Amino acid sequence: MLDFLGLVVFAIFTIMIVGAGLGVVLANRVTTSALLMAFTFLNMAGMFVLLGAETIAAFQVLIYVGAITVLILYGVMFTPQTPRAYGLFFQKQTPWGAVLAALAALPVIVVAFSFHDAKTVAPPGGDLNALAIAVFNSFAFPFEVASVLLLAAMVGAIVLVKRESPAAPPAAPLRRSEPPR
Amino acid sequence: MPLAAFIAVSAALFFIGVAGVLVRRNAVVILMSVELMLNATNLAFVAFSRRLGVAGERGSVFVVFIFVVAAAEVAVGLAIILAAYRNRPTVDVDQLDEMKG
Repeated sequence: MLDFLGLVVFAIFTIMIVGAGLGVVLANRVTTSALLMAFTFLNMAGMFVLLGAETIAAFQVLIYVGAITVLILYGVMFTPQTPRAYGLFFQKQTPWGAVLAALAALPVIVVAFSFHDAKTVAPPGGDLNALAIAVFNSFAFPFEVASVLLLAAMVGAIVLVKRESPAAPPAAPLRRSEPPR
Repeated sequence: MPLAAFIAVSAALFFIGVAGVLVRRNAVVILMSVELMLNATNLAFVAFSRRLGVAGERGSVFVVFIFVVAAAEVAVGLAIILAAYRNRPTVDVDQLDEMKG
């Protein structure tokens, strides 16, 4: 009974993830894409709970659904989004892209279905203990490197979006004939 | 729950992201598709971690580091998009062709 229930929940999450993922790619309005992406991430967190990785699911909701979606929405807000006409939406590279993705996907899916009888067993008592012990013992040095990476990314993002002088006009289109200031 | 089911969902989402990167021309949507791909690999990592049993949750540790890299990537990526937009007011990657020949 519990197995069947798990299967139903898994099927629901699968449909939501694949459907919302397709929506991200196919939706013509960027805000719709961003919110569908957040929905995909939320269902992915449910998938992690189904696998018995509650800590990862919590991180997923905090980082992906919270932080990254908000960052992307800020990006949408700061740039003008004009929905492309559908005549321009499907261009000459679209069939090539689709064929290339399908060709690469086929062997991967064949390999995926070759794990016949492998079961996924959730560890008893959650995964927080094992995760914390692994991160702070075997992976202590990569953990420190990751913190340096985050610091570097923060400084880099600030430097990239900083304006040179406060008097500079915002987002003025530079014409090519103009000499650089 | 069989492992193959989780790997199949992961592969499907990953290749949806690949198709998005190849097909869409909006830089912000391309960034979203990259995020989808990263998240699909997270699912594969956790599923294989479960398959291998209690080997110290190694797969989940990798997922934590992927979270860090994804956060850094989206911050720097958006900064680059905004800088390019300030230089030339478009987010269409077809028109961001200043480095061409």
